[in-house]
Amino acid sequence: MDKSMIAELYLSFAAVFHRPNPDVSDHLEELVDLWSEVIPEIDEAVQKLATFCREFPPGEQRLNALWEHYIPLFETGEVEASPYASVYSGEKGLVLGKEAFNVQQFYANCGYVMGEKSGELPDHLAVELEFCALLARNGQSEALMEFQKKHLTPFLKSILPRIKNSDRPVYSDIATILEIRQLNLQKEGDFVG
Amino acid sequence: MKRRNFLKGVLYGTGATMAIAGGFGTFNKLGSVKAEAIGEDLETTVFSSCEMCRNQCPIAVKVKDGKVVKIDGHPDDAAFGGVICARGNAGPSLLYDPQRIKKPMIRTGERGEGKFKEVSWDEAYTYISDKLYNVKDQYGGEAIALASRKGPHDWFFRSIGKAMGSPNVFSHEATCPMTRSVALDTTFGNEAIAADYANTKYLISIGRNWFEGIHVAQTRAVSKALSNGAKLVVLDPRFSITASKGEWLPIKATTDLAFVMAMANIMIDENLYDKNFISQYTEGFEKWAEEVKDKTPEWAEKETGISKEKIIRITREFAAAKPQAILDFGWRTAYTPNDYQLRRAILIVNMMIGNLEVPGGYYRTKPANFLKDFPDQAVYAKGLGNITQPSFPKASQGRIDGTGVKGTPGQIIPAYDGAVGKIVESILTEEPYPIRAWLVHRFNPYISLTESPRVLEAFKKLDLLVTCDVYMTDTAYFSDVVLPECTYLERSEPIFDMSGLTPKYVIRQAAVPLVYSDTKPYWQIYKELGEKMGIGDYFEFKDMEDYMSQQLRPTGITLDKMKEMGVWTPPGMNAFYVRASDANASLDNVLSNHSKKIEIFSVDVEEATKQGVPKYISHPQPEEGKFRFVQGKVAVHTNAGTANVPILNELMPTNTLWMNPVSCTKLGLKDEDEIVIASGLYEHKGKIKMTEGIRPDTVFCYHGFGRVSPELRRAFGKGINGNHLIPNEIGEVGNTVTSTTFVTVRKA
Repeated sequence: MDKSMIAELYLSFAAVFHRPNPDVSDHLEELVDLWSEVIPEIDEAVQKLATFCREFPPGEQRLNALWEHYIPLFETGEVEASPYASVYSGEKGLVLGKEAFNVQQFYANCGYVMGEKSGELPDHLAVELEFCALLARNGQSEALMEFQKKHLTPFLKSILPRIKNSDRPVYSDIATILEIRQLNLQKEGDFVG
Repeated sequence: MKRRNFLKGVLYGTGATMAIAGGFGTFNKLGSVKAEAIGEDLETTVFSSCEMCRNQCPIAVKVKDGKVVKIDGHPDDAAFGGVICARGNAGPSLLYDPQRIKKPMIRTGERGEGKFKEVSWDEAYTYISDKLYNVKDQYGGEAIALASRKGPHDWFFRSIGKAMGSPNVFSHEATCPMTRSVALDTTFGNEAIAADYANTKYLISIGRNWFEGIHVAQTRAVSKALSNGAKLVVLDPRFSITASKGEWLPIKATTDLAFVMAMANIMIDENLYDKNFISQYTEGFEKWAEEVKDKTPEWAEKETGISKEKIIRITREFAAAKPQAILDFGWRTAYTPNDYQLRRAILIVNMMIGNLEVPGGYYRTKPANFLKDFPDQAVYAKGLGNITQPSFPKASQGRIDGTGVKGTPGQIIPAYDGAVGKIVESILTEEPYPIRAWLVHRFNPYISLTESPRVLEAFKKLDLLVTCDVYMTDTAYFSDVVLPECTYLERSEPIFDMSGLTPKYVIRQAAVPLVYSDTKPYWQIYKELGEKMGIGDYFEFKDMEDYMSQQLRPTGITLDKMKEMGVWTPPGMNAFYVRASDANASLDNVLSNHSKKIEIFSVDVEEATKQGVPKYISHPQPEEGKFRFVQGKVAVHTNAGTANVPILNELMPTNTLWMNPVSCTKLGLKDEDEIVIASGLYEHKGKIKMTEGIRPDTVFCYHGFGRVSPELRRAFGKGINGNHLIPNEIGEVGNTVTSTTFVTVRKA
């Protein structure tokens, strides 16, 4: 798999785990196409996503449907699967724990810093996936492998089962796809892809 | 865009979401910033003030690597002694809680369905502005109500309502100690009276629970008095923590006024009161004497269930300690509809021992402006400045609760507070006119007001419900718009005047940057909303630094100095009691009423309720098989505010129903049994705590549990919401009433 494809894959997952926005919502079919093309054994999840896309065509209705599930899943209140790595790695289940500082340091060591207007904590799931996309795009394979091993993979092991178990449309299916993708990588012994 | 062109565009920065480093704009190239700069091992202390309850205790926030790691009490504030309570200690867990609200939200589903979308602040402001103007155009500005937990946000929050021409702005006080405020206003002409617990020798509590309803300075002061040998007597149907520190008198609930009137009867009968004080400073004593002449200890024994011997002994002990004795005026929700008369009677009995403006009694708080009238204290009179605002438009209708209407009970309802429970009634009955929009700031009517199901019913009838809070509270869950406020550890706000026996100013300043970048401080939220609504003239300050600087200007204290100190008191000033060295000193400056007398007979109360002196009303007692239902505070939670805070929820996630073993046996119940509590219209599930620490005719639960917002994940569905069971009875002066409900209990 070439670096561009790897980068697109990471970015596609980052796209859906960022807060819903019209751009991503309207291009959900494109992301599904990408996954079904390059990740084997995800037919059931792809079917469910396709059904969702048919039921909610691009536009406000789809965006609101995504919000309906994104908010309780990741964002406010019940937060069924908190999107911050610190919540799982710290002893108190709180944000901005040591893991947040560790990934921030990793970003800096690779030449990146989160923009002041990004408005997100450094260990947000979407941020880590987006960071991986940038590393892949730029051919920083060793850094990508190290980041996967030290930070992203342990995080995904904690969060993906929670997203899957939420049974929330779109997100639980995408978590399934990402989990399969991760398993495949491990089978191949190739964290980068 | 063709398949994957979207992703490619984003990835390489050619699409609509192009960013510096590519991707979704989250990252920038590091550039000249050194990697080593991140994670510098910096440790600082920021002086600020707590907000885990409304007491605003001065704190020292320890910050390491940009993160709050510990909160202590301010070390230089003698009243606090470097100490904070469990709630204060739990502040960082609120700050870093993943369950906080992070963005403005607008409801997309049915009200109460829990479906929201996140929006920009501008969208939220526009939505609120449009809806408010629609309500104003259709029903008038008075159809907009605002309610908040009382605090420094009020100046900003209330400006929105007042600028829209609404008279209906409310604090939460009617659900808290407003009857005490009414008593203070009508007896002394002002509410700024406090108790000098630390120096008292004899302290009687009527349901006040300093060791669970914690105000750190007052709890420490009571502890100090006890350490110095003071006697503590606690009247409470329940064996509270405070009761465990003294002599517990398990009084029949709602009969406290009988005990207090009997004290007056005994003191008059045995000549135990301070005749000189009564003669010099009070008026109407003879009417009071007439009112209590038949309120004998024998009569009180029958009413209260406390033996006449005990009543007599305690009264004699209290009088013997004069003037360093306190019959506490309380700080809690009203027990009965006429609770203000209990509070008035308490104040009157205190005045009978002349304990005003002496150590160990009551005193007028001493803000700087108060001191200017005392030549030997005037040097300390450095008052805070005010921020000016244009005049607000005159409301075209009176308030829905009748506050301020002469010749009615509304005459003595504090204008600043009002009867907040009336909002629900006006929404549902449209009397005296309909309320159609309700703005709520850090207040949770669903938990704080009685008859919670009726509160939900009212929510559903509104055109607009807006909640500003840090959590998706029960009220927020039913709102149209939810605004995410940042926590107190992330914001600066106006300097507080916390004067006691000396002037005292306290600052709240941000200890750390915003954790969730799209949350905002309340002053910014209401300033921006006001500007969106075209009423920005009411918010004439640039930012909070500018606001605080304007406040401090007349004092000569610089903002930098205030930030550095955290707390300011006049250097060299000692505690000031007006009568400490002269028992006959004038109290004209202490009393703010026209008579310049302590009004044992109050002309205002007589006009308002035809009861110029307190009269006893006997409230029904529970019949066999029923129990009086009472509530109270717990040390590790703040009413409706903290049930979901991580550390505090861990300490106490739920509550139980306290029941005496005798009653449990009669009902065939045992400890930890699942039960159903019924109050007539409503039922609630719960769990029994079998304890001898409560009268057999009474049951009790801690307040603040039984949450219905599923978004309060830790607290949702846990415990008993007492206000679900209590009818929304509005007392004589607008107060909620919490101790007149009877319940039955059965096994679930």
